[in-house]
Amino acid sequence: MTISNDSEFKAALSALAPAQQRMVAARFAENVLSASPDPRVSSALQAAKRADITEAELAAAVHAARSASVASYTSCSKEADRQHQASHFVAKAALNSVMPAAHGANRAWEAALNARMARAIASGVASDNSEAQQQYRILSEFLQHRGQP
Amino acid sequence: MSASFERGYNLLKEMIDAPIASYLSSCVRCGMCASACLFFTETNDPKYTPIHKIEPLRKVWRREYTLTGKLASWLGLAKPLSDEDLADWQELLYDSCTLCGRCTMVCPVGNDIAYMVRKSREGMAIAGHAPAGVVAATKRTIEIGSPMGVRLPAVKVQISHVEQETGLEVPLDQEGAEYMVLLSSMEIINFPEYLSALARIFHQAGKSWTICSEAFEATNSGIQIGVGDLAREIVMRVVEGAEKLKVKTVISPECGHAFTALRWDGPNLIGRPYTFKVQHILEVLDELRLAGKLKTEGFEAGRLTYHDPCQIARRGGVVEQPRNLLKMVAQDFVEMSDAGTMNWCCGGGGGVSANPDAEAIRLLAFKRKKAQLDELGPVTLVTACANCRIILEEGLEHYQMDVPVVGLTETIAAHLVESPHFSPPLPNPLPHTRRPDGLGTRVGEGTNALSPLGRELERGLAGEGEKP
Repeated sequence: MTISNDSEFKAALSALAPAQQRMVAARFAENVLSASPDPRVSSALQAAKRADITEAELAAAVHAARSASVASYTSCSKEADRQHQASHFVAKAALNSVMPAAHGANRAWEAALNARMARAIASGVASDNSEAQQQYRILSEFLQHRGQP
Repeated sequence: MSASFERGYNLLKEMIDAPIASYLSSCVRCGMCASACLFFTETNDPKYTPIHKIEPLRKVWRREYTLTGKLASWLGLAKPLSDEDLADWQELLYDSCTLCGRCTMVCPVGNDIAYMVRKSREGMAIAGHAPAGVVAATKRTIEIGSPMGVRLPAVKVQISHVEQETGLEVPLDQEGAEYMVLLSSMEIINFPEYLSALARIFHQAGKSWTICSEAFEATNSGIQIGVGDLAREIVMRVVEGAEKLKVKTVISPECGHAFTALRWDGPNLIGRPYTFKVQHILEVLDELRLAGKLKTEGFEAGRLTYHDPCQIARRGGVVEQPRNLLKMVAQDFVEMSDAGTMNWCCGGGGGVSANPDAEAIRLLAFKRKKAQLDELGPVTLVTACANCRIILEEGLEHYQMDVPVVGLTETIAAHLVESPHFSPPLPNPLPHTRRPDGLGTRVGEGTNALSPLGRELERGLAGEGEKP
């Protein structure tokens, strides 16, 4: 199955079970992980990709991703740094990925948007749409393998 | 006497206008302002008593404008203000004052202590005693137009992101639009969801709006550092942008000090009335609600409370509007103790969050907000100031409290009844659930209108579950 636009992309995501949303969301975030130096983000994503993750592990991953997200905010009147800002959106994408199912409405789409934001900020090009194309590919591959890690 | 101190001293002298002279004359030294200041209540250190923070200004007033002060000075009985005094007071005037104005509310003789702190900062800044972080922000504002160094390309990245997300146009430089939207740097850098919410709300309401490429920045660091000339210049940028685009209303964003600077101080700073109206976004949303142009559906499943940003509620008078709006989407809304005009500050306003020296005292002062939240139990915290939002999140993280923090505008937008032409974000596949940020929970919803591809996928994945 080939996904070539956001309508198809959203529809495909909406059809996924919550756990599958988590796993594919983690892949979206992982695709921009190079923009984040925070080990909490990568550890949260590793956890999110696992199908056999326990509730306790998921809670720990949420905590790690949330901490990374808060730590990477650019505070009021502090000088904005593009790489730092991009890292915040990677952390947000990771947080979208690992929130428990009860909190997880739209998480894969939210993660995708945050990952796109991270890419656009890191590249500094407003019209940079390359991440969306990569996400279509990631989702297509994920669907082909039915969510297998 | 150094040249910078002399300039600072003279400016302090100049700052003493009729209101300040009357305030200083009428202070009865009762100390009631102490119990209103979170920096005092959380430390019990008397140096944080608000009226004590303006001691340099009081010294200048007494020496220069009172008979007894002049006499004492002439007889050598009064110690004059020194550069060392100003250096010592930097901590009190910048690190431990958010200009929240709670002290002003409790003063039995009506002294506006926050106003005096602001005026004191003018002298401090000229004398070279403003914190480095705030000075750097001010330099960026002068050079770039934004305290965080945000330029138009960064705004365009966000515009592109929002257009992609919503499928709606974010108008730039549209002459004759009804609303001109300002953004705080914080929203541009950290919270694209605010602009996304605006695009959807204005689309639903059928209102024309625009961002001005020459005046998109709302933050006024001139107010924060205490440099009136700079504050005036920043206000003028907005005025020129609004007049050039001939807009009817300029909307101040979810930013506290931006509202104070533009709505209340602006006309005085530039010395003339505006040719347009200035409203806070919450005022605009409440007007749309009253006009029946803001239609929402569903309610947040969890309990919500509202943190009143000081400059919007206490100093700005926007108190009822956020509650009217929250009633649209919250069935279980609870007030904190001291809600509304007497709510406690987040601890990071007035330039405190831009000042690394203030971090320790800020986190200590956050215990006041923590206590307010602890009384409520599990809750989602809604606010309408991007700076408050980050300060709250940092404080909650520091004290390991699991309280989601969200913006009010995006909370409303999460419940909009979208028009048929709008391509909404992905529908919620589960009933009674919450988004990661605590938003978008719609009680009683849960059905998805899937496209043919979606239905195909649903069939393909049904029963698959998770595979190892």
